[in-house]
Amino acid sequence: MTAALNHQRQTLSAWIMLSPALILMMVILILPILIAFGLSFTDYGLGVKSVDFVGLENYERIFTRSTFKKMFTATVLYVIVVVPFSVGLGLGAALLIQSVRRGREFYKTIYFLPVMASLLAMAIVWEFMLHPTIGVLNETLQGGCDSAIIHGLLTGSWFGADPLASWYGDQCANGFPLWLGDRDYALWTICFIGIWQSFGFNMVLYLAGLTSVPRDLYHAAEMDGASSAWERFRLITWPMLGPTTVFVVTITVIRSFQVFDTVEAIFPDSGGPGKTAYVMMFAIYEKGIKQNLLGTGAAITVIFLMFVIVVTLIQRWFIDRKTHYT
Amino acid sequence: MGSIHLKNIFKSFGPTRVLKNVSLEINDGEFTALVGPSGCGKSTLLRILAGLEDLDNGTVSIDGRDVSGVRASDRNLSMVFQSYALYPHLTVRENIAVPLRMRQLNPSQRLPLIGSMITPATAKKEITDKINTATDMLDIGHLLDRKPGQLSGGQRQRVALGRALVRDPEAFLLDEPLSNLDAKLRVQTRAEITQLHRQLDATFVYVTHDQVEAMTMADRIAVMMDGEILQYDTPENIYSKPASIHVAEFIGSPKINIFPVELISPDQGTRFQIGVRPEYLKQKNGKFRLKAVISHLENLGPEIQVQFTLPGIDTLFHTRLDPKSAGSLTIGSTTQFGFDEVDCHLFNDRGVRLSPHKTRQFFKTLNDST
Repeated sequence: MTAALNHQRQTLSAWIMLSPALILMMVILILPILIAFGLSFTDYGLGVKSVDFVGLENYERIFTRSTFKKMFTATVLYVIVVVPFSVGLGLGAALLIQSVRRGREFYKTIYFLPVMASLLAMAIVWEFMLHPTIGVLNETLQGGCDSAIIHGLLTGSWFGADPLASWYGDQCANGFPLWLGDRDYALWTICFIGIWQSFGFNMVLYLAGLTSVPRDLYHAAEMDGASSAWERFRLITWPMLGPTTVFVVTITVIRSFQVFDTVEAIFPDSGGPGKTAYVMMFAIYEKGIKQNLLGTGAAITVIFLMFVIVVTLIQRWFIDRKTHYT
Repeated sequence: MGSIHLKNIFKSFGPTRVLKNVSLEINDGEFTALVGPSGCGKSTLLRILAGLEDLDNGTVSIDGRDVSGVRASDRNLSMVFQSYALYPHLTVRENIAVPLRMRQLNPSQRLPLIGSMITPATAKKEITDKINTATDMLDIGHLLDRKPGQLSGGQRQRVALGRALVRDPEAFLLDEPLSNLDAKLRVQTRAEITQLHRQLDATFVYVTHDQVEAMTMADRIAVMMDGEILQYDTPENIYSKPASIHVAEFIGSPKINIFPVELISPDQGTRFQIGVRPEYLKQKNGKFRLKAVISHLENLGPEIQVQFTLPGIDTLFHTRLDPKSAGSLTIGSTTQFGFDEVDCHLFNDRGVRLSPHKTRQFFKTLNDST
């Protein structure tokens, strides 16, 4: 009798103590998601008098209209390009920094600077550098065309190849790309800026991961006959960095899905020449905020959320288990 | 199998001189223990021998070949680490296979997936056979598919041993392999390692801070202190003829009793130190008697360990008594402990053992004066 009462009382106090956290989670996490989910089935807009339930119309539009097709293409390409390079360069930089005796702090700071810098400001700098006529990049490339040595080496004409057959030779003759203004280059340039901006962060995570690899393992590997750096990397560094890699890849994927500021800073009106850099976050912003089509914006948000959830689930259920060894 | 010769090894870490002119010769098939308090340089010496640490000066030869500049992986030595250093992502089988794969397969055969396809079946079989031999020897055959994280400390220790003895190295180096085990397992594994040594008939170099391990396992013990080898001899000699007070005090538990004495001859006084092992102090017996005040008693069952003080001396002295005879002793009571000439170790005032001749002379003078 008293035991049951006691138990009841404990359950009650447990709920009371849990309630602040539960309420906060509901209000700032669950509820907004549910509202967005609800809005995605309407034609709601801020200040609009009548709101109609439109069913799956928003989603249908997203999956049929060519604009949204471009959105998916740009987003997926961006993620596919940025993630491997950003993770690979992060790991490479971390390994190199780990191996130098002096100047670690110097290199760490240099590689980490782009992460700390405001991307909006950096985007302007990149815009200047990549400017087709007065940008430093095209000027440098153009300068190379005039130098016989560089032209010979880069086009392969020194080795008997046709200079016009190579990319560099062709561009020398016909003018260098417009980069950000060029349909064929805009997204890749955005990707490049994304990689440049994000790999420093991955490097820091990998550096932290590297410090937790026991030194004894390297000694054991040496005694076992793993003498080359590659063998040591394969036998110890890479597997021991497994948990770090899973984490780094996950957050890089999510951050790449979220890319917005570069596009907004460089192509504020259009989303790139021919909408080639029309990424998801930019689409949400354009539809939901600029054009006040909150229903459509909410629908894209829900799809975006699905992507993120899938990535997180993959991390939690498939890979995490394989990379934690204890 | 190999003999090992370390010659005039010097090593400093920054301003700290860790090894000061250390020389050591280990015969083929010998079990040598490097023993000393922590920080004496024994582990550094082992790592220098392994090639994991560079030396500042000196030579390391294995089997007559100078390997001072040769990297660790090319010295053909096996090592067991204090932390075991097992590869946590590999199963026990894969862990033990690593040294074989690294040395017997070429880089392309070691590639994942493809490597297994292009490895000849004979090479695979050879590796499997060797793994089985090693795991049978250590009785870990049932653990082969587990990962190190799923093993107990003792099992991990065995896997580390297995990884070391799966191939046929010049020598086995063991760096405090038992220090992470509980007391009971340590005693058991101690015996097993000794047995393995007999079975393999290989050179073993064993680093430990535990003098009991050194005494029970080794053919020869090198006692190290402050970066120097104080004595290198058989366990029997280390115990019965310690070269200095430091060695005498380090080996043996409870510690040897050191009685300071001054021999006063007509013209001058000469200071000596007499060392007597606790088991040679007899109650109310022996030629030289000391008046003792009991300060602590520990009954271990088969024996009673007695701590006592001498009037005018602050240090604690130890002896071990038969429970039957010690029955009447209580803390604070006074009794007599005595010892005989033959059970004494005589050291001069600097702690160096006196030659038998000088010892005889000392006692002759002592006898004459009393």
